[in-house]
Amino acid sequence: MENYLLAMAVFAGCYALMALGLNLIFGLAGMINLGLVGFFAIGAYCSALLTVKLQVPLLLAWPAAILAASACGVGVALVTARLRGDYLAIVTLGFSEVIRLVASNEIWLTNGTDGISAIPAPGRGVLTPLLFNLQFMVIVWLAVGLAALLVARLSAAPFGRVLRAIREDDVIASVAGKPVLVFKLQAFAIGAGLMGAAGALYAHFNAYIAPDSFQPLVTIYVVLALTAGGTGTVRGAVLGAILVVALTEGTRFLGGVIPGLAPVQIAALREAIIGIVLILLLTYRPGGIIPERPRTHRLEVS
Amino acid sequence: MSGDVPQLLINGLLAGTQLAVPAIGFTTIFAVLRFPSFAIASHATIGAYAGYLANVWLGLPAGVALLAAFVVAGLFGVASDEIALRRLRTSGPLTVAIASVALTIVLENLVRFGFGNDQRGYAVAVLRDWRVDLGVFGMVRIGPQQVHNAGAALVAMGVLFVFLGFTRTGKMMRAVADNPMLASLKGINADRVAQLANFIGMGLAGFGGMLVAMDTAVDPLTGFRVMLSIFAAAVVGGLGSIPGAVLGAFVVGVGEELSIVVLDPTYRTAVGFLAILVVLSFRPRGLLGERAV
Amino acid sequence: MTLRTSRRTALLGGLAAPFVSRLAVAQSGPIRLGTLTPQTGAGGPYGPAMVKVAQALVAEINAAGGVAGRRIELVNEDDETNPDAGVRAARKLIDVDKVSAIIGTWASAVTTAVAPLAWENKVMLFTVSGADSITRLPHQGYIIRTQPNTYLQSTTVGKYLASIGAKTVFALSAQTPFAVDSYNRIAEVLAQNGAKAVGDVIYDASKTSFRSEVDQALKTKPDALFLNSYTPDLAVILRELFRAGYDGKKLTYGYAANAKLLETVGADVAEGLISFAPSPDLGSPAYAKVKAILGSDPDPYSCQVHDHISLVALAIGKAGAATGLAIHDTVRGVGDAAGTKVTSAVDGLKLLAAGQKVNFEGASGPCKFTSAGDIEGCRFRFDVADKGKYRLLGLI
Repeated sequence: MENYLLAMAVFAGCYALMALGLNLIFGLAGMINLGLVGFFAIGAYCSALLTVKLQVPLLLAWPAAILAASACGVGVALVTARLRGDYLAIVTLGFSEVIRLVASNEIWLTNGTDGISAIPAPGRGVLTPLLFNLQFMVIVWLAVGLAALLVARLSAAPFGRVLRAIREDDVIASVAGKPVLVFKLQAFAIGAGLMGAAGALYAHFNAYIAPDSFQPLVTIYVVLALTAGGTGTVRGAVLGAILVVALTEGTRFLGGVIPGLAPVQIAALREAIIGIVLILLLTYRPGGIIPERPRTHRLEVS
Repeated sequence: MSGDVPQLLINGLLAGTQLAVPAIGFTTIFAVLRFPSFAIASHATIGAYAGYLANVWLGLPAGVALLAAFVVAGLFGVASDEIALRRLRTSGPLTVAIASVALTIVLENLVRFGFGNDQRGYAVAVLRDWRVDLGVFGMVRIGPQQVHNAGAALVAMGVLFVFLGFTRTGKMMRAVADNPMLASLKGINADRVAQLANFIGMGLAGFGGMLVAMDTAVDPLTGFRVMLSIFAAAVVGGLGSIPGAVLGAFVVGVGEELSIVVLDPTYRTAVGFLAILVVLSFRPRGLLGERAV
Repeated sequence: MTLRTSRRTALLGGLAAPFVSRLAVAQSGPIRLGTLTPQTGAGGPYGPAMVKVAQALVAEINAAGGVAGRRIELVNEDDETNPDAGVRAARKLIDVDKVSAIIGTWASAVTTAVAPLAWENKVMLFTVSGADSITRLPHQGYIIRTQPNTYLQSTTVGKYLASIGAKTVFALSAQTPFAVDSYNRIAEVLAQNGAKAVGDVIYDASKTSFRSEVDQALKTKPDALFLNSYTPDLAVILRELFRAGYDGKKLTYGYAANAKLLETVGADVAEGLISFAPSPDLGSPAYAKVKAILGSDPDPYSCQVHDHISLVALAIGKAGAATGLAIHDTVRGVGDAAGTKVTSAVDGLKLLAAGQKVNFEGASGPCKFTSAGDIEGCRFRFDVADKGKYRLLGLI
């Protein structure tokens, strides 16, 4: 049981890192990003390929993964800078699907749908599974702590205020003399970097990645984590990530409760419940569990 | 390879007609309610199942079953919006969009709960293709069923155009899409128009879902498989524009087929995305802008 | 940090509370086995039947007194046809339910993702995945695969196609880890038998139309098509082939061309489709039992799950212990050529209890495995769709 809880804590930590990244891009700067699993995948593949194919040490591979995801984030932000929110949502979704297609098809680089196995991690096979999970849990949550600190600092700094201004109205922000594009690029770079970091940690914990590990469902879960926890808040992002993993895992235990159902019905029910809980949360806690406190006075038309 | 172009063009045009119907549904909902509804996928699936029940269980002909697909998916659309999404509209379009992702997961799994994952097919005979000699362009083959489907799609589009252009209710809907503020000042009931948009939009998704399922199979993922292409079509054409959705569907349909000349078939899904990027780089609001109903 | 951890632990712990009490009796109580099959996602057409067979078989074994006096308890998890979800489900099966074996992983990516957990925790993994890379993992014997590997299947396909007079063969393949290997091996075998592979198209199985792919294949005017597909995409491709007027030979895997498929596409479209699957002797009681459980011709995966459960039960019966390690050590011994041939776990358990050796032959064929976990001495049955029903062509 402890072993399982530790592993789930690692996954929750990865989600928390991504939710923190999304908090910068969407929560603060207001740019919806439904392609975040793409950055997660880039981080995972970059770190996995460097360590498995080129035997690069972890301490170099992880920063490289963050940089690679960051660079892609800047690229996506540049291409989509002029797009309105709803277009951005669909374009970023398409981006993550293209990343998955590339991972499936460029077999020379990514090993295709076979995936990459035996991704190294310190202590694997030496430590007991319990100690290994414990160690990884500590690493991941240290990373989450650092990321939370970073995002909280940025959020409170002038940088965060400008991002919020862009979120509310980027025309006013640019009239006020702020280089909107530069701020958007920075937000995307840091946010995507955090998602890449999550991907790198995930790949090395799991020891195996394949294109199918990066389905859009991951994006949905992270968006769910942030909106449920509280868009725009650091604590909300972290709490939301824990909640999502608790929800997806907790629903597993429902199967035994209802007798007379076929396994496929239990599986369907489980996924439906996850969706229903999200809708209920959005309906009854629209600002999330920890809503963002208004920091600026603003005029609301709606 | 280039010798195949006429055939690929025909394949693409037929695929585009089929894609146009759910794309119109998606864009109609966007025009009135201003959010991209991911629930289009599950409603396409619901339409496919409704058509299946009508066609196989009740023994009705395919044409009537298509009507059933439209009506049932439309009613589901109104009901699910009423239950799950309506109260979220005050929280902004992105919240509703996220909730629509959750809604589509819920509906897909309700279908799975009731019907399981088994594939089902319609009681529709599969016909051999016609072979047509295009002279210098060589022989091409055209599927009677694809032509029927394309015909059904054109009829659905025609009815919608007449409805929007010539009926009072249709004009009301366009007024709300063009300018919600002005429309509410004129005393148009926004809730009623929203319901109508959901009925028509999800109905068309269901209609399109059955068209797709006639070529593939009815299962809980029927709608999900075409979701990205529907999005691509609507975005390329310009969100909220019905002619745009039709045009976008043809661009994506033809693009996906023609891409086979230069790209591996496994990259076909990327074509819709490429089309989006190219079009949006020149026209950030799609080919036919928006609100050009 | 500590605060967060404890809060999370409390949350998950609360949800899992009903299981904690049962855990304490795991050593003397029932034998726990886990199924990990696709109930949702692309593998959805296969998972439900697999679990149904597993449940029916476990009920039969329990009704006959269980294994060494202990009941078998089955815990079913959905891998969502997704390695990420599969890993989390497998961790739950291993760490919470304490299963000694995981049965039925289907997608190669899920199997590869779950495999390290299995061998690190000394849990046996029984899979139906086809990718050759799976049994090459450093799994220390903890993987048993009842699905013949790609090399063996492709060799069979190549030989068979050449034997029925196909001089030119084109392959249409869904993108899978074995698509390329499979085509290359078939081409090799065809060349050795005086025939030729004239090309292949690898397609994205999640699309809804394969018109242009089919055109590409037919342009080469092949004598035979090899359809390396799954059920949903095969339905589309068969319709396209019919519309295009293709009347040549077409061959596909039994798991793609299941009985449901013939219903879905109709008799005309399926006419002449040859499907092949690993098989036991004709008239095998095990195969008949799976057919009775499902009420229709079983697909190969359901047959293999029947064999997984039987193998586990027999291995535990032979070892007298129900740990993953015990199964690992004895599972290769229940297909003992010197033993009495049995086709059901219940019969085998009786013989084992009486101190005899058994030679288990399951619903998918004989169950002898190499040290890498691949099946040996496997035979294949070929069926042809004839007016909407399958007719047996023969056993090879």
